[in-house]
Amino acid sequence: MKKIYFLIFCLTTLTASAQTSSDTCTDASNATAITGVGTFTVTLINGSEAPTPDCTISNVTASNGEWYVYTPSSTVEATISSDLAVNGDKDTRVHIYSGSCASLACIAGDDDSGTYNGTNSTSFLSVVTFLALEGETYYIAWDNRYQSNGFDFELTEAAYNSISFTQQNIVTGTHSPSISCAAVDMNNDFLDDIVSITKSTITPEEPATPYQVYNLNIQYQQANGSFISTNHAVGATYDASWSLAAGDYNDDGYNDLVFGSGAGVNVIKANNNGSSYTMVAENTGPFTQRTNFVDIDGDNDLDVFVCHDIAPNVYFINNSNNSLSYYQSGDNNPSNPISGDGLGEYNSGGNYGSVWIDYDNDGDMDMFLAKCGGSEAKRKNQLFKNNGNGDYTEVSITSGLSDIIQTWSGAWGDYDNDGDMDCFIGGYAGVAHKMMRNNGSSGNYTFTDITASTGINTFSQTGVDNAPADFNNDGFIDIFSNDNILLNNGDMTFTAFSAGMPDSGAIGDLNNDGYLDVVTPNFNPNSRMYLNNGGPYNWIKINTIGVQSNKNGIGARIEINSVGLGTQIRDVRSGEGFKYMSSLTTHFGLGLNTTINAITVYWPSGVVDIINNPSINQTLNITEGQSLSVNTSLYEELSLYPNPTTGVINLKTSLNIENTLYTIFDMKGRQVLKGEFKTRSIDVSRLSTGAYFLQIMDKGLARTQKFIKE
Amino acid sequence: MIKKYTYRFGVYVFYFTLTSCINGDNYTSVSPVVLDFGSLPYPSLSQYHFFEGNIAELKPVYGVLPYKIISGLFIDYAKAKTFVWMPKGKSATYVNDYSIFDFPDGTVLITTHYFENVLPKKETKLIETRLIIKNEGEWTLVNYVWNTEQTEATYTKEGSVVGVRWLENNETRTVNYSIPSYDECFACHNKYEVIKPIGPKPQNINHNLAYKEGTKNQLEQWVEIGYLDPNYSKNIVSAVNWEDASQPLELRARSYLDINCAHCHSDKGYCNYPPMRFSFNKTKDPKFLGVNIQHGFNLGDSLTNIVSPGNTETSALLFRMRSTLGQFKMPIIGRSLQHKEGVQLIEQWIRSLDTSPVKDQLSANRITKSL
Repeated sequence: MKKIYFLIFCLTTLTASAQTSSDTCTDASNATAITGVGTFTVTLINGSEAPTPDCTISNVTASNGEWYVYTPSSTVEATISSDLAVNGDKDTRVHIYSGSCASLACIAGDDDSGTYNGTNSTSFLSVVTFLALEGETYYIAWDNRYQSNGFDFELTEAAYNSISFTQQNIVTGTHSPSISCAAVDMNNDFLDDIVSITKSTITPEEPATPYQVYNLNIQYQQANGSFISTNHAVGATYDASWSLAAGDYNDDGYNDLVFGSGAGVNVIKANNNGSSYTMVAENTGPFTQRTNFVDIDGDNDLDVFVCHDIAPNVYFINNSNNSLSYYQSGDNNPSNPISGDGLGEYNSGGNYGSVWIDYDNDGDMDMFLAKCGGSEAKRKNQLFKNNGNGDYTEVSITSGLSDIIQTWSGAWGDYDNDGDMDCFIGGYAGVAHKMMRNNGSSGNYTFTDITASTGINTFSQTGVDNAPADFNNDGFIDIFSNDNILLNNGDMTFTAFSAGMPDSGAIGDLNNDGYLDVVTPNFNPNSRMYLNNGGPYNWIKINTIGVQSNKNGIGARIEINSVGLGTQIRDVRSGEGFKYMSSLTTHFGLGLNTTINAITVYWPSGVVDIINNPSINQTLNITEGQSLSVNTSLYEELSLYPNPTTGVINLKTSLNIENTLYTIFDMKGRQVLKGEFKTRSIDVSRLSTGAYFLQIMDKGLARTQKFIKE
Repeated sequence: MIKKYTYRFGVYVFYFTLTSCINGDNYTSVSPVVLDFGSLPYPSLSQYHFFEGNIAELKPVYGVLPYKIISGLFIDYAKAKTFVWMPKGKSATYVNDYSIFDFPDGTVLITTHYFENVLPKKETKLIETRLIIKNEGEWTLVNYVWNTEQTEATYTKEGSVVGVRWLENNETRTVNYSIPSYDECFACHNKYEVIKPIGPKPQNINHNLAYKEGTKNQLEQWVEIGYLDPNYSKNIVSAVNWEDASQPLELRARSYLDINCAHCHSDKGYCNYPPMRFSFNKTKDPKFLGVNIQHGFNLGDSLTNIVSPGNTETSALLFRMRSTLGQFKMPIIGRSLQHKEGVQLIEQWIRSLDTSPVKDQLSANRITKSL
């Protein structure tokens, strides 16, 4: 007898892992936690604490339980299973909790999902899978609702696939295929709508003049997640076969469009409630590539920039009455407001992807130009530094971005969350991608090629469209690159996901769940949505509503600071990637962070708005100037002298202001001067007589002091 | 008045440069062509004096030699008449089978595009006359657009669209024919931004043409007329007429792809970064045609290769030839209609390709790196 008992004991210890079950939750908390895969044996279910609440659908509790604690060492998909041949006939039930023993919250549970049935007609064994976050504590509890017998169970872990999509077709219109698409709000309700453009069914009998009627199908996203489809007939000379962009150039709240084709470009204006669309400006000739709505000449309204494949770039400048004037860079037209090095003047073009970002953090939008084709001189990428008032200097050589790499677009984002915009350059036709890290203010905003350390040069999928977005909401910007999503691992390395990923398209939140989705034209009569399956992470979305600045807030720099993740930045842009139009709503993932200290919006006009402690997992609409008040509290640790002054004000302060941005406002809250501190004084001799506020940003908080100019 | 004097001056200039007889002629002939480089491009085509009588009949004057390339560029079913003129006493020299001749300064290549049986009157309608003129070692591109009266063509750098309705085999067809802008001309006619002609290469004119005086091989005729140095290869590897069903299918396909695609898809062309190299002399090697080469980016779920042997529906090249959409169609400039007959040729060719499995399917990456 003794002998047999001893043998059984030995066998038991051989098969069981170190963790034995505990009778109560608290006992389990004090015992050794399970940290990874293994097989475990429950000898008998007789623990005094029965699991409650019931995580299965039966809502019937048991009398006893056996408990384990599980703390995964990395975020995984964990599976708990008693569905083992050795358990055959047995009948088990399991509950998975998070929280604490005093306050358990159900995550998952299972009764009979197994397949092994032994001699039973069906299986009574349990299988449950759940997302187990790194470092979190989970409670695994088995109960004796059906049997108290002992049994074995397994814990297995699978890599958490942190990005996946569900596909859904949308019927978009009358004629196939969809020429292009956008994910952008078209009816001023700040929900991203789906815009598809198809040719109309109207086929003119006579040789068709270039003027055609296009079908603009807009799927208006509703608050309840459905879409209402409306077709708008748009007469236009040029289709959007090469480019589509949106922006509210006349500031009436309804986004207008630009269509770019191989033969020309036209601007399509929405009426004052977005119910009809009319071509208002066009030009024959531009072999159009990327287009953007952006304030090119620095007068706080949106212009339209157009890349030209085979000649210098062109643009429509918004005049003060919202009429549009067409110019070509370098055309020697005395009315052309763009000066300096222009915006891409190579004689035979090679201009593919223009993206507008503030690369040098000086408060205005610069332009990166991805170039391709022909000789080295033609295809060198260019970077145009905005000097204000429409004057630009081409700085690709000094910045380190002059590169003959064949590319049609770069994806700009602060990939390492260090406060400046980095540049992912998407290679084309087999040329390897590159990652250029911005060296920030201490590096004079030059760029260093860090490709080798990122792993992106090993990705073989190349193509024309590359755009930045945080798809899994972990707080690190990923890259949507030609049917792949390059997921940012959080350490400037990237993992490529291709199976089930969208092909090139427009990025937006199509179901308002805070996770970014993609819509593609899909070369079909129907466009296709790729709805992000989401995940466990938090997020916030921001709509910038300009007042002094353009209404979309294009050109605004938005900065958020959250506990645990630090600082993230975005620039509001129209026209990302190469071809499509992505949402104008600014999106941030927050990872597991639950607190945002402040959102700071640096408007193109110079106004700065700070929203302290916003709620997360919601959309915030910020109107320019809403946080500025003439009763602004003054910061004692900042004194200005002489005050009053006739010429220069000097700062005496404990704040570290080197390279910090400052803004000077008049008493009405209008920005009159802005700049970056190189010394501790500012020349205000050109200000008119009056009282002013000087505002400095210090770690996300505004510090203000008042002075008088005589 | 001033115009007349300029004309006379121009004629005298060339009269005095005349030095020798033309072979085979009994008398000294003078070409009436006027080419005053200081004044080029002329505002009107008639100022060049390329044609005699009613200019729209395109009757070439002495010295303006008709030529014809064996396979022509598809331009929305417009027809082409091409001529070459060189200054007296100057001639072109042979470089190799597949390169443009080394033409002398003063060469003008003249291409007129037109439609026949244009409705309602079923008449011939000239659309444009494109000139490529060589001076001081460099070529310039100049285009002339014909007026509706067909009395004159006017110089312009702007593109424009002409609606045409015509009868082809008793079938009414319509097209918005695009006259290219200067920028568009340049896009095709350049190698690393140096302007170059495309058509007149030995491989393209090594065949007979029916001249007024009789049918003769064009290279021989050029020599006789003094336009070509007689030192050229007598074994020229030549393109074929893609419409000639008696020619091998592969040669027909390669000739078609050469004239329609090679100018951009070549080492120094406008689109040199994808791996295709469509020049006739290169496409003996099927990888340059994209056969079994993975398509470099997503064009649609099923389009896996540039050319899939035996499989027309997964061949991206054919998809692009069939397409009339701006973002897909090839050639990228110069056509708006599908070339039905060209598509049929390439479909036939793709179906004829050996479908045995390939051991080493090459990706676009590897081809590009090897270029």
